[in-house]
Amino acid sequence: MTDTVTDVNTGEQVVFWVCAILAVAGALGMVLSRKAVHSALWVALTMINLAILYIANSAPFLGMVQVIVYTGAVMMLFLFVLMVVGVDASDSLIETIKGQRLAAILLGLGLGILLVWGIGSGLVASPTVGLDAANDAYGGNVEGIANLIFTRYLLVFELTSALLITAAMGAMVLSHRDRWKEVASQRDLSIARFRSGVHPGNLPNPGVYARHNAVDTPAILPDGGTSDLSVPQPVRARGDERTLDQVDIDEVRQITEGSGE
Amino acid sequence: MTELMPAEGVFSLIWLLIALPLAGAAVLLVGGRRTNAWGPLLGVLTVSASAVLGIVMLLQMMQNSPEQRTFDQTLFSWVFVGGFQADMAFQLDQLSMVFVLLITIVGALIHVYSLGYMSHDRDKRKFFGYLNLFVAAMLILVLANNYLLLYVGWEGVGLASYLLIGFWQHKPSAAAAAKKAFVINRIGDVGMSLAIMLMFVTFGTVSFQGVFGVADQASEGTLNAIGLLLLLAACGKSAQFPLQAWLLDAMEGPTPVSALIHAATMVTAGVYLIARSNAIFDVATVAATTVVVVGVVTVFIGAIIGSAKDDIKKSLAGSTMSQIGYMIAAAGLGPIGYVFAIFHLLTHGVFKAGLFLGAGSVMHGMNDNVDMRRYGALRKVMIVTYVTFAAGWLSIMGIPPFSGFFSKDEIIHAAFEQSVLTGVLLIIGAGVTGFYMTRMFIMTFLGKARWEDDVHPHESPKVMTVPLVLLAIGSLFLGMALLYWGNIETWLEPVVGYEAGESPISTTASIALSLLAVGLGVLVAYLMYQRRAVPIEAPHGSWLTRAARNELYGNEVNDVLVVQPTYYTSRWLVWFDNKGVDGFVNGSAAFVGGLSGRMRRYQTGFARSYALSMVGGAVLVVLALVLVRAS
Amino acid sequence: MSPLLASVGAETETAFTMPSINYYAIAPILILFGAAVVSVLVEAFVPQRGRRPVQLVIVVGSIVAALAVTIDLRGTRLVTGEGAIAVDGPTLLMWGALLVIGLLGALLMAERSIDPLGDAFAPRASALPGSEDEQEFTRRGFLQTEVWPFLLFALTGMLVFVASNDLLVMFVALEVMSLPLYLLAGMARRRRLLSQEAALKYFLLGAFSSAFFLYGAAMLYGFSGSVSLVAISDTLSAKTGEGSLVAIGIALLMVGLLFKVAAVPFHQWTPDVYQGAPTPVTGFMAATVKIAAFGALLRVLYVSLGGLRWDWEPMLWIIAALTMLVGSVVAITQTDIKRMLAYSSIAQAGFILVGVVAASPQGLASALFYLVAYAFTTIGTFAVITMVRDASGEATHLSKWAGLGKKSPVVAAVFSLFMLSLAGIPLTSGFVGKFGVFAAAIDSGNTWLVIVGVVASVIAAFFYVRVIVLMYFSDPTPDTASVVIPSAFTTIALTASAVMTIALGVFPQWLLDIITQAGVFIR
Repeated sequence: MTDTVTDVNTGEQVVFWVCAILAVAGALGMVLSRKAVHSALWVALTMINLAILYIANSAPFLGMVQVIVYTGAVMMLFLFVLMVVGVDASDSLIETIKGQRLAAILLGLGLGILLVWGIGSGLVASPTVGLDAANDAYGGNVEGIANLIFTRYLLVFELTSALLITAAMGAMVLSHRDRWKEVASQRDLSIARFRSGVHPGNLPNPGVYARHNAVDTPAILPDGGTSDLSVPQPVRARGDERTLDQVDIDEVRQITEGSGE
Repeated sequence: MTELMPAEGVFSLIWLLIALPLAGAAVLLVGGRRTNAWGPLLGVLTVSASAVLGIVMLLQMMQNSPEQRTFDQTLFSWVFVGGFQADMAFQLDQLSMVFVLLITIVGALIHVYSLGYMSHDRDKRKFFGYLNLFVAAMLILVLANNYLLLYVGWEGVGLASYLLIGFWQHKPSAAAAAKKAFVINRIGDVGMSLAIMLMFVTFGTVSFQGVFGVADQASEGTLNAIGLLLLLAACGKSAQFPLQAWLLDAMEGPTPVSALIHAATMVTAGVYLIARSNAIFDVATVAATTVVVVGVVTVFIGAIIGSAKDDIKKSLAGSTMSQIGYMIAAAGLGPIGYVFAIFHLLTHGVFKAGLFLGAGSVMHGMNDNVDMRRYGALRKVMIVTYVTFAAGWLSIMGIPPFSGFFSKDEIIHAAFEQSVLTGVLLIIGAGVTGFYMTRMFIMTFLGKARWEDDVHPHESPKVMTVPLVLLAIGSLFLGMALLYWGNIETWLEPVVGYEAGESPISTTASIALSLLAVGLGVLVAYLMYQRRAVPIEAPHGSWLTRAARNELYGNEVNDVLVVQPTYYTSRWLVWFDNKGVDGFVNGSAAFVGGLSGRMRRYQTGFARSYALSMVGGAVLVVLALVLVRAS
Repeated sequence: MSPLLASVGAETETAFTMPSINYYAIAPILILFGAAVVSVLVEAFVPQRGRRPVQLVIVVGSIVAALAVTIDLRGTRLVTGEGAIAVDGPTLLMWGALLVIGLLGALLMAERSIDPLGDAFAPRASALPGSEDEQEFTRRGFLQTEVWPFLLFALTGMLVFVASNDLLVMFVALEVMSLPLYLLAGMARRRRLLSQEAALKYFLLGAFSSAFFLYGAAMLYGFSGSVSLVAISDTLSAKTGEGSLVAIGIALLMVGLLFKVAAVPFHQWTPDVYQGAPTPVTGFMAATVKIAAFGALLRVLYVSLGGLRWDWEPMLWIIAALTMLVGSVVAITQTDIKRMLAYSSIAQAGFILVGVVAASPQGLASALFYLVAYAFTTIGTFAVITMVRDASGEATHLSKWAGLGKKSPVVAAVFSLFMLSLAGIPLTSGFVGKFGVFAAAIDSGNTWLVIVGVVASVIAAFFYVRVIVLMYFSDPTPDTASVVIPSAFTTIALTASAVMTIALGVFPQWLLDIITQAGVFIR
């Protein structure tokens, strides 16, 4: 802590440059990532770096809230949602509108340059009072925020609840499904399966007497015929199914009698 | 300065002049089919009652001394905000008095005539409702005591005219004509609204009394600007160059409408506006000179178009344009001309209404055919129409002792007082008038019958011929009556001012010259159309004839200068501004077909380009502010 | 000692003083907010069938109560909530307008007898469009009654928005007002994909614009060390001649606000959203958001940035001119009536901006009058659109309006009245409004802007009148839509707006008096 309020010591400078670069990198990564999960992680990086910058600027409360609420809660919620929706979903980054990307880059850069120049030259002219002066006005950082929230911004603070209610209710309205059909129980499902007339249980296994791959060999029914159901559909479709007369009698005998050569 | 009299006695009923036809319009338009049976009669009654009230007021007004003939009635304060005030208030003075009489009396006659003319129309009730609405709006226009209320009437007559031009909406041409009239009139209205704004800024008020009281204190540049803007407004409403193109198309409306609105009253509102604003034009010399130029140019444009059209109504419309050109020119002359502009306006209102109604009567007998090449020899079968039309014909040409003679001659004489060139031009214009009116008269009533096979011309019913006769009597006597018995100059002088100027030529000489010119015109027409048979098919004609038939390419000029640029700008902006239009057309197709995938592609595409344009806007806004701040 | 520990272990206890809040002055806000919360609880605890009547009672009751308090508050002029909320003449006027229009909007949203399937909203917004679920819900007559708390929240946000005396309050209010609208926009019963697309676009772009607003507020904070409008104004007058920070702050703040008023070039969301949203919502939104956003814009410009007039005026001149021209010109080629009206609303925003740039008490008064007049006309316009239908729902394609004058003369006449008012024809409210803003602009020397405005209004008149022409001067075709007779809800809203449109045209004085008495913003 220095007495001259405008001084910035080396440690602070190092923190600033490291965190600032990481924060901007995170933001760029968010925009440029193809996968939503990656984007979310990039945002988390930005958030954490911002939190560090807040703390370095004597705003510990804000820094902690940033970590707990944004990085901890909001971003994790994001990730959960993304997991549910499907991690693999990735957006195409191919631009279909002609000139859109070029114009966007140019205008973005233009706005950025204007802002950097403006803020830069504006801040040079602004006098600074130092962080301690800001915090000491109410006897500390947390007290300061508390004072503002419970006096000048009391109404607004209450009003934000309207935002939260609206958001929650909006999410309900857009996603909550009313069930108008009875939910089928296991018993119902089972009955339905038997009623459907399709073979209800497991299909018969293929013949087990083959020496190599028995999948193509049909099972023998008690009446001596074969069951087509025991051979998988693709094999049948390819015509690879073996018929009973193709089976080498010797082979069968060897297997059934269990004797070796 | 004239005294402002409180509206007492009969003058406390000024509002009733307007309320009567307005109530008529309300009953007819809101009442619906229930009023079908008696509605048209009610329409006639309300206007007639206003006319009677107007006459009573005239008689009462004549009792007062000339300085005490301006009556002011304030109903309530209409708009009053931040130093700006406009009242719902009326002013009846000598100028508005003559307009009230013209509007209500000619209006009443035309209402009566319409009973016959529209008897077979299904929407007769609506027609009378619109006519009533028009009369009410026109009365607001001439009775207003401030420019803002005048503007209300101005828009009101525009609306009524628009509704009536498009009355026969089953004809696409009628709807198109209505639209055209509306668009061109809006251009004029720009002038009007800007003029009012400018007046408010300059004088802090828009009431006539307020503005005229301090008009001479403003700079001449400002007054010229106001004057030119008022002229633009007048050009739109009165179909003067360069906003003349709509009037010919407006003939798509029923003939009584053409007679009332597009000949006698509404189109003369521009003249009223200029005469009413005389205090401004007296000082604004540039504007006044421009008024004269516009008037003279229109005299010729109208006359040339009138000479070439074979459609009897369009030919008359050209003539109207030309005659209003005379009035506008006279109004531009300043105090030597205002009274004669109004004088000619009154006589023209009567004889041109008669001519139009006569044309309507002819069309009525000819199965609504308007082509003069298929008329001829109608004098034998339509004797009343023939005689009354003749009265109008002689009057418009300015043959003594018909009304037009007195009024037009005074204008020409006054024009000589200002400049010889103007006078000569107006005399030549009179000659052309003689030509086209004689041409029309011969082609319609004289010569050989060129009727189509299934046409059996017949005289119109009494309800139509009686107004014709009354208007013909007006055409004959009104000029004399106003000039010698009514002393029109002294009557109007307190309002618009009057001074006799020094004329380079004597009255007799100018009369002789103009009669000579008219005689030449008549002679040429006689030689061309009476001595030679009129072909049924229009001959190819010279380039001038062809140009005149095409209305001197006014439409094409408008098209190139106004319509096309607007249209292409709009198309271009749509393309530029929002490719989403096409996207949505495709998008809804995709929706119908259930191809939501296609839709989604458009959706994201556009949201990001919208965002892009927002960023672009933001950059510009930031840049603008930073630059302004830095400078 | 690290800052963290320093704050925890601080010895010095500053005494906490309770904020002074005049609860009665902000009672309209509190009533609506409370009603909104109750209405959420109704959704949770009242059975399905009973919700609609209960919600209607709550909505209408709370709006009327808030309106009564607002009227009772007339003449109040104070800043409360420790400088966060300003209750002054313009605030109360806009509250009154917002509440009345909100009530009319609620009536339109309550309409159930126009669409044979139910109200204007999807039976369940969560059901996939075209799915079996959706059909079943429709068959069962489900209603998404959550629209009512959304409506109340949106109104609450608007009330705070126009009263906020602080950029932070303004930002939260902006969000409170917008979020329910985003949701409402996506809940149309018919053409649901279009509606959902509109909601998504509105949300994305709205969030984008909010970011600009917030950034701008941050810049102004950086400049003045405060987000209070008055403090910013004080700092501006103390520190003249410096600050690219101020310029950027104002610019970005303007982007956020101009987006809400739909000024060019931040207007592109408007046609899509107006077209896609359920028509009662479009009407409500078009009228109220305009009032709220202009209210906030006026307050920021007049209270906070008045000293910088010469800096922001040129920018607003250009934007006003562009807005009027682009809105009017592009509207000409539209074929969908809702899209056309969206462009019309853009043009109207331009006209109101003309009054805003005048930067004088007269400009403020004229802009306020224009806003009220426009709001009534607009909500009436959309009320008519809900009634003009064919088999597939609302017939918004212009070709289907051909000959409507023959089929339903009264409705066509009322719609023509609204069109004439929007076009600014005398004896309608639109004329007085236009005249007012133009007169104010000329008065403060913006003559050329007025010329642009008059030209734009001429162009605009063309497409307004084109609808009238279409209704009256064309013959009905087999495609012509028919007008459904609505229940008392829509009838009341329509009648009220038509009466106001004429009343404000013929007897505008009473409202002008109220506005004059309202005076200017409190500082």
